[in-house]
Amino acid sequence: MNMPLLASTNMSFLQRIFFGNHGASEAAAWSDGLFMMIFWFSAVCFVILMALMVIFVVKYRRKPGVAAQPSPHHNLNLEILWTVVPSASMLVMFVLGFEGYAMKMVAPDSAMELKVDAWKWAWKVTYPNGASSPETKYISFDDNMLALEAGEADALIETMGLEYPIFYVPEDTAVKLRMHSQDVIHSFWIPEFRTKMDVMPNRYTGYGFQTPKLKSTDMVLDQTTMLDIPGRDMWIFCAEYCGDEHSRMAATLRIVPQEIYEAKIKEWGTPKDPIELGKTIHKTMCAICHSVDGSPGTGPTWKSGNGYGFGYDAALADGTTAPRDANYLRESILDPNAKVVAGYVPAMPSFQGQLSDVEIDGLIAYMQSLSDLGPNQEETNEETPEAADTAGSESP
Amino acid sequence: MSYADSNAHHEEGSYFSGPPGMLAKIWQWMTTVDHKKIGVMYLFAIMFMFFIGGVAALAVRYELLDPVRTVQMMDASGEEMTIVTGERLAGLKDIMNARSANEVYNRMFTLHGAVMVFMFIVPSVPASLGNFFLPIMLGAKDVAFPRLNLLSWYIYVTGCLFGVLSILMGGVDTGWTFYTPYSTTTDADHWRVVLMILAAFILGFSSILTGMNFVVSVHKLRAPGMGWFDMPLFLWGVYATSIIQVLATPVIGITLLLLVFERLFHIGIFDPSMGGDPVLYQHFFWFYSHPVVYVMILPAMGIISELIAVHSRKHIFGYRAIAFSSLGIAGVSFLVWGHHIFTAMGELAAILFSGLTFLVAIPTAIKVFNWLATLYKGSIAINTPMLYALAFLFTFSIGGLTGLPLATLATDLHLHDTYYVVAHFHYVMMGGTVVAFMGGIHHWWPKMFGKMYNEKGGMLGCILVFVGFNITFFTQFFLGTQGMPRRYANYVDEFQTLHQISTYGSWIILLGFLVHLGVFIASLISGEKADQNPWGGLTLEWETESPPIEHNFHHEPVVTHGPYDFDKVVPPGWDPKDYPLPANPSSHS
Amino acid sequence: MQTTLDADTTPAPAHIANHPLHWRNRGYAHHFKSRDEDFDSSKFGMWLFLTTEVLLFAGIFCGYAVFRMLYPEAWSNGSHYLDWRFGAANTVVLLISSWTVASAVRCAQLNKQKWLQINLVITLLCAALFVFIKIQFEYIPKLGEGKAPGTFFSYAYAQNPYEVLWWSLYYMGTGIHALHVLIGASLLAWVLFRSWKYQAYGPTEYLMVENSALYWHLVDLVWIFLFPLLYLIH
Ligand code: HEA
Ligand code: HEA
Ligand code: HEC
Ligand code: CUA
Ligand SMILES: [Cu+2]
Repeated sequence: MNMPLLASTNMSFLQRIFFGNHGASEAAAWSDGLFMMIFWFSAVCFVILMALMVIFVVKYRRKPGVAAQPSPHHNLNLEILWTVVPSASMLVMFVLGFEGYAMKMVAPDSAMELKVDAWKWAWKVTYPNGASSPETKYISFDDNMLALEAGEADALIETMGLEYPIFYVPEDTAVKLRMHSQDVIHSFWIPEFRTKMDVMPNRYTGYGFQTPKLKSTDMVLDQTTMLDIPGRDMWIFCAEYCGDEHSRMAATLRIVPQEIYEAKIKEWGTPKDPIELGKTIHKTMCAICHSVDGSPGTGPTWKSGNGYGFGYDAALADGTTAPRDANYLRESILDPNAKVVAGYVPAMPSFQGQLSDVEIDGLIAYMQSLSDLGPNQEETNEETPEAADTAGSESP
Repeated sequence: MSYADSNAHHEEGSYFSGPPGMLAKIWQWMTTVDHKKIGVMYLFAIMFMFFIGGVAALAVRYELLDPVRTVQMMDASGEEMTIVTGERLAGLKDIMNARSANEVYNRMFTLHGAVMVFMFIVPSVPASLGNFFLPIMLGAKDVAFPRLNLLSWYIYVTGCLFGVLSILMGGVDTGWTFYTPYSTTTDADHWRVVLMILAAFILGFSSILTGMNFVVSVHKLRAPGMGWFDMPLFLWGVYATSIIQVLATPVIGITLLLLVFERLFHIGIFDPSMGGDPVLYQHFFWFYSHPVVYVMILPAMGIISELIAVHSRKHIFGYRAIAFSSLGIAGVSFLVWGHHIFTAMGELAAILFSGLTFLVAIPTAIKVFNWLATLYKGSIAINTPMLYALAFLFTFSIGGLTGLPLATLATDLHLHDTYYVVAHFHYVMMGGTVVAFMGGIHHWWPKMFGKMYNEKGGMLGCILVFVGFNITFFTQFFLGTQGMPRRYANYVDEFQTLHQISTYGSWIILLGFLVHLGVFIASLISGEKADQNPWGGLTLEWETESPPIEHNFHHEPVVTHGPYDFDKVVPPGWDPKDYPLPANPSSHS
Repeated sequence: MQTTLDADTTPAPAHIANHPLHWRNRGYAHHFKSRDEDFDSSKFGMWLFLTTEVLLFAGIFCGYAVFRMLYPEAWSNGSHYLDWRFGAANTVVLLISSWTVASAVRCAQLNKQKWLQINLVITLLCAALFVFIKIQFEYIPKLGEGKAPGTFFSYAYAQNPYEVLWWSLYYMGTGIHALHVLIGASLLAWVLFRSWKYQAYGPTEYLMVENSALYWHLVDLVWIFLFPLLYLIH
């Protein structure tokens, strides 16, 4: 079977129902075609069988006084037929499946390699230049949701839903992933590429895909400039069960023109104001567990009040307390189980190796900025590690 | 076990009639070694677990009525606040001692899966109908090891108690597959997970003992004149199942044991942080859990062979092909476990397992064709068992055929761990095994309890279950292909409509089962007395009374005709006037 | 296999001749058609059970093979920590016991009551010796040095980070095996007790002796695999 046949661009009505949107790469379209081929084969088998069943049941239904008519107890030719035909058709499925698998797994050597890190419950993509994406996007609840809230007339809907990180990749490029997990098994699934692969704590896994060319109608909203830019968004889901927030371990893959991609990663690669840095890291990596507005989550909120927040003493699970100073925070990030906050379970993964010193300082500065006890935000506008230490010693 | 002397006196009453007095009766049931009583006790225990699993399923579906949304907004005073909508199970948070509504959901589907698989479906057909009918259909007085049989019932109940205890303590959120390292780290300060794993471990022993008992019984206790190929096909199904149980269950035993040690003492075998390998766990787990799906389906297929032959009064088509395909499925089932972990293994292994998986579909397809050919020129009765058999052909074919894209590598990479898989396995487990089980219960109900059930009620229940089932799960195929991952408490808005349809379907299923429950209770209380052979079956259970006497048969039966010679033999208990035979029976054997 | 009464020549002592448990008075379970059928079924059942036991250990052996492939260093170090002499001693002990238990079956069939009991006693002594060597010379010293499984591992001189896995598998394998030794010994002790008290076994009734002996052979067999894998292959 040749590729173009399966990867036909004319989607049937049914294919649209099954897959909603077109596969984003040739391999994806090809596997959709294969699926449809198996589907039609099955559907034909099924309809024939059910038709026979219904005909038999109607035609030979029991009538009083009428015996079943004799018929052979077996028929070698028939039996050979219905063994060989399924076997042969399944051989075809197997071979094509294998072919499509190769298309999905193998990436050309020249492919751009992205490093994917996973933990409970977030994704992080590191680009070849070492930068990672600080941008996030709200889960799209659109109009539907607005209508629901409309009753509360004055309630100003400021933002909606959780924010999910956006990972940018250039259009029409071969990409390959090198994936690793910090804790349990996750699975990196981009439905539009029709491929997922488990992300393991003890080995690298990966796969490749070819990003599509953008159509002129593909536009997305740039979260930093609030302008429409050419681009196409796709969901990334975690497909391997990994705990409480498994269903919210999502992200967005954004396909953009090469220039935009390059501008973006260049921008992310350059150093930033630590509080801003901390804020973006929080949004992309920590928000799934830690709120900054006091609402409860898997981990303690970072907002101050009720015994939480920078500068306040933390009541620990072992009954002692510890002042939430910079050292405490640093330890909490690198070795979270060393001091566990009372009322919480040691569920936080270690970010040792995941966050650079600069980033940790940024996080601490951000937490500090959230606190009513922290020093003025301007004072922490330093980028050296000492900043955190000074800040720590200042806190009560 | 009583010895030779007990051969002399024969208790001739129905196996039901016990000593007078409630306590004495209960004591007699609890200490009985009679396979029929044990079968009935299994039936009740299993149905109870089905009910628990079903309630959890309804909770799962209820939560999925709408996506969960986290909304941040300003309240009147301009203060930012976060509200969460659609967490329908949040009310259970405190009862279950859970951190979040998501966790409640996760525990619900785990309970649902674990209860349904380990406590309901694996023992379902073999332990209840198998226990009751295997010896009778063999023409024997009991299974080979009656006391062992009772022991395995008690082990089963102990296992279930462990499971229920774990549920009462709040439940576990590992998924029924207990994948490491999640299962060894979640809820680390609680005993619940250990209890649930131990429950599965204990249930394994029950399964092994039942399997051994049946294999030996089939080998050694066939009535005089009954060769291997004179056995009813139900027995072939149970026999093949028993072989799988004996050979696969020990592996899950050691796996779960290692898992418990891993959890309690961190021995590291499955723990990546100590150099252990979580994928090794997955291999071990599926080495058992794949064959076990055929443990679920083979006896169900056996039931279908009986139902279709008896209720269409036709000699089963291709007897030997069906018998051998049972063994074939059992054999090949040990070679395909890897298809559950295509996304966690190397290319070579993936290709190998994909190829082998298709092999297992061939004997299954053969069976389906044979059943259809059996209907041809039959005298097909429309009653509850037959309706269920037809429903089985419909739903199981869908379930099996949708297994093909899962076995195909390229498509499985998309479909793995989505609702497509959920739909697939409900079509084979619920639409296959449960449907066949319900058919079997109706078919043998008169024999087991000596009472007829209300045919109209039974058919109504069957239709409701069938319709509700398809509404619930057919939608899930589309959810899956469109990108809805499984084990998700929250989902993206675009899936809501399909999820809602699915949830409404689950309520129709509930209605159907409640109708069945009513029909059964009514039958037990005021059912019409059943004849010895209400359907005109030719297998040995129809040669004895309904319900059977204590020792099954008044005289040891001698097999003189095949189990499906409907065109030559007037069934026992029937007047030749009421049972017309064809003028010239076919000459084939 | 001999199930007829021919071999029975010596009369039973008067005080137990009519005891219901005495082998002469044994019938067969009522749902069987004959004594042979009963006997064959039980033995068949036992073989099936032994199959499940082998498969249980197969899990351990698989784990062993996988980690040996992953961490050959650690596995080589691991086997060097074990003293083959204790392993070999235990192998000999088990082999002797296998032989005596087989003789015990033969004695039951030939109605040599005294030798049946003597053989069983020797077997039990071997079992005790095995467990003693295991605990005294293997487990206690090793645990004392910190060569313990999983998180209990605290051996300071480990050269390879994965040695802890070796110890985990070592304790799981030998531990489950030792548990089987204890179960087997309990079965044999029960047989010995009934033989001593009722002369319960003889030419027509030696099923329990034979099945317990089969179980004991399995215990032996598993060790025959564990010994080279753990002690000899470096
Ligand atoms: C009763 C239980 C049962 C049965 C019988 C089957 C039968 C089959 N299953 Fe299924 N399966 C499960 C229970 C079952 N399965 C469960 C519980 C899971 C998920 C577990 C979890 O992850 O939680 C699962 C998951 C599962 C996967 C893994 C999916 C994933 O997670 O990525 C795969 C992949 O190959 C698969 C394949 C098959 C195949 C090929 C068959 C074949 O045996 C089907 C053969 C049947 C037919 C083919 C149809 C009948 C034939 C005809 C109508 C004739 C015409 C046919 C032809 C011409 C071919 N199954
Ligand atoms: C035998 C197996 C079996 C059966 C029968 C069912 C039955 C049902 N299951 Fe399933 N299910 C599984 C096995 C089964 N399930 C497994 C293994 C999983 C995977 C778990 C995991 O991921 O870990 C799963 C997961 C699963 C999910 C996916 C959850 C997720 O991934 O997030 C869903 C969602 O819709 C679901 C729904 C249902 C529904 C609505 C039914 C309904 O059909 C239930 C209907 C039953 C009732 C309503 C009970 C009524 C009974 C009575 C009233 C008693 C009557 C008594 C007599 C008749 C005597 N199940
Ligand atoms: C899996 C969820 C999870 C994620 C993701 C997570 N945390 Fe946590 N965090 C927790 C939990 C649970 C606790 C409380 C238990 C403890 O102290 O270990 C906690 C505690 C903390 C504390 C101590 C809080 C206090 O009030 O004393 C800090 C600081 C912290 N986390 C920082 C971070 C940072 C920074 C990130 C992101 C880079 C992050 N966490 C990501 C779950 C998480
Ligand atoms: Cu990560 Cu699911
Ligand atoms: Cu499978």
